[in-house]
Amino acid sequence: MGKWFKSGSPWIWMTGGAVSISLIAVLGLLLLIAWRGLSYFWPADIYQWEVVDQQSKRSTIIGEIYDKEEVPAERLIAAGHKFSEDPGELVTRYLIKTGNREFVGLDFRWVLETDIVSRTMPKDVAKLERSKNGDFFGYPIAIIEDGKRLALDDVEVSFEEHIERAVALSDKATTLQKREIGAVNYALENLRLKERRYELDNALTDSRKLELQAERDKLQADYKILEKAFFDLRAEAGRDAVIVRDMRGEEVTLKLDSILGVTYSNRLGVLGKLGHWFSGVGNFVSADPREANTEGGVFPAIFGTVFMVLLMAVIVTPFGVVAAIYLHEYAKKGPITKMIRIAVINLAGVPSIVYGVFGLGFFVYMLGGSIDQLFYPEALPAPTYGSPGVIWSALTLAILTLPVVIVSTEEGLSRIPSSVRQGSLALGATKAETLWRIIIPMASPAIMTGLILAVARAAGEVAPLMLVGVVKLAPTLPIDMNFPFVHLERKFMHLGFHIYDVGFQSPNVEAARPLVYATSFLLVSVIVSLNLTAIAVRNHLREKYRSLEH
Amino acid sequence: MISIDQSVMKTETLDLNNLSSEQTALEIRNLDLKYGDKQALFDVSMKIPKKKVTAFIGPSGCGKSTLLRCINRMNDLVDNCNIDGEILLHGQNIYDKKVDVASLRRNVGMVFQRPNPFPKSIYENVVYGLRLQGINNRRQLDEAAERSLRGAAIWDEVKDRLHDNAFGLSGGQQQRLVIARAIAIEPEVLLLDEPTSALDPISTLTIEELITELKSKYTVVIVTHNMQQAARVSDQTAFMYMGELVEYADTNTIFTTPKKKKTEDYITGRYG
Repeated sequence: MGKWFKSGSPWIWMTGGAVSISLIAVLGLLLLIAWRGLSYFWPADIYQWEVVDQQSKRSTIIGEIYDKEEVPAERLIAAGHKFSEDPGELVTRYLIKTGNREFVGLDFRWVLETDIVSRTMPKDVAKLERSKNGDFFGYPIAIIEDGKRLALDDVEVSFEEHIERAVALSDKATTLQKREIGAVNYALENLRLKERRYELDNALTDSRKLELQAERDKLQADYKILEKAFFDLRAEAGRDAVIVRDMRGEEVTLKLDSILGVTYSNRLGVLGKLGHWFSGVGNFVSADPREANTEGGVFPAIFGTVFMVLLMAVIVTPFGVVAAIYLHEYAKKGPITKMIRIAVINLAGVPSIVYGVFGLGFFVYMLGGSIDQLFYPEALPAPTYGSPGVIWSALTLAILTLPVVIVSTEEGLSRIPSSVRQGSLALGATKAETLWRIIIPMASPAIMTGLILAVARAAGEVAPLMLVGVVKLAPTLPIDMNFPFVHLERKFMHLGFHIYDVGFQSPNVEAARPLVYATSFLLVSVIVSLNLTAIAVRNHLREKYRSLEH
Repeated sequence: MISIDQSVMKTETLDLNNLSSEQTALEIRNLDLKYGDKQALFDVSMKIPKKKVTAFIGPSGCGKSTLLRCINRMNDLVDNCNIDGEILLHGQNIYDKKVDVASLRRNVGMVFQRPNPFPKSIYENVVYGLRLQGINNRRQLDEAAERSLRGAAIWDEVKDRLHDNAFGLSGGQQQRLVIARAIAIEPEVLLLDEPTSALDPISTLTIEELITELKSKYTVVIVTHNMQQAARVSDQTAFMYMGELVEYADTNTIFTTPKKKKTEDYITGRYG
């Protein structure tokens, strides 16, 4: 035993064990959120149950199995549940998603195994994804096209084609609303601001008034035309309807413009399900959220996260590098420099919410408020830059991550051999030339390391953003087609905040839970891909300046 | 030993104490140097002749490298380094306040102990000094690069891979590249600080041959640990000991009939 101890093997086992535990923790975490998140998009089987409840009433339930748990029978008996025969020790209880929210009250319900009389998987039952009120389960019977009833038994009548038509028209209407109508509204708002600016400058002459009025009339006319086109499209999309028999046995008419897709899950094979899975994932990544973020996609949040992080990187890199260069190259080595360095390192330990408060007080109210006073007086009292926005979020996170960049840049600078500096100086370069031409390029891998750490920290940070720019639902992206195309004052959505919002602030927690996992997985993927890009750049730079290796 | 005899025969002797100003490249006058409280050079005075190779020899820590680094003011980089005395280049004291250090260093190039190429291509290494002077004309740079690389006897080895990274070269090639980089800006004086101490014998030989060629165009000052090397390549030798210039004379004289006891002890290997 003593010999084994002396041989050093326990040390190897201990260190190896530590690494394995870390690896297992990371992989386990990723696997759990990936599985929970991604399996949500797999089309589940739709069952039809015949159920007898406590009052011996028979009813039919159509839906998907959402969750399953074992409950001790004793507890159920104590709660007043009566069993017709001995249920044994444990009873299985299913959580069933029944959808049809506006007709049945609750779209999730618990059902005991013992209450179930029969369970079938009918081929004709379909899941209709709707833009409002969640999913609908039932048997589509007929289509109403222009008031004519067409039975779906007829092979010539295609449900999918009708839906595709309606979806295409709705999409067109939405695009029209966002692009053209949005542009007209933006122009009208600019016109209002222009008028107000003249007014403030006491330059609102009658001729100008007329000019503005003419422009406004022209825009209003454009708006009327677009509005009519928009309503025409909407009306056209709402032409058809579908009649569905739901689990109560009643026939319900659903307008097709509210239906986004139909899935006959029980008819699908593995390949068909795979296709649905991919389109589901694609939709999640590319679509806008619906219904208080519990349905639809997260594209604005992905865009907001990446945009904000890139903006932060653009701000923090030059600042951090310049500060590090001063500290390392120019500042006299003395107690003051030492103190500044310690202060910088300690800055990294300040809780992030404190930065949020600082950002709100300094950037948003002071800086943004002053910008509004100086440059946007015509919009007041409505703030332009004086309210939380993506630029203030990026700046706040830039301060938060500044120490990381400074510290790693300084480390990189101190690793550069003095012989290279002297070589440059001996050729008649000044210190600044040496820095610019030799030192900074050679320190660039270290700068990239700092940036990687900064991006990793910033992309996962949520708390300060809640104060300086993140919102539950941003109507517009920070980049659009309206001049000047980049709107840094706008509020934005963020994946981290989205997780919090969907998981804890949502009206329908059960429906939102898988989205929490899916969004978490997406956030991790976004951070990993940002980091991988930076690491690839760094490795390229390392290869280029590999003198540091000897 | 044969090479010593050859170099002895070639050398026409100069009277080092009475060099005319045309013959003098550099004049060091009463130079004292202190690192903080520790004095490293004591009242060094000497004249270094033009277009000759002058060697500084002496045991470790005797101040020979320090003296060399005074000549292009590399010691400015060291904190609390105090220098008294004068070094004259063209009759102008290089420690004068009016002197621009960068332009001084363009006139007095330096090659260090370890090869220190920049992490750039071979070509960019050579033209670095020219680019600093604002020369970006492609043809001018190409010409200078070829001339310097030929001058450093490395052209044939690198002419086909000028745009490869300089770190792909061997240690000896890197050192010659660094010499090429130094002569690309055509300095008057070239300072070599133990240029072969990190190299293998064959590379050392190549560099030594190169040094003998360089003196046709440049004044070369070399610091070396290796007495044979001093004997092989230099025309004058200065022996330093404990921060003082003990003896300075023709290499031939120093190695055959030294006047001072300390020099003789060192030459014959009794210490150092």
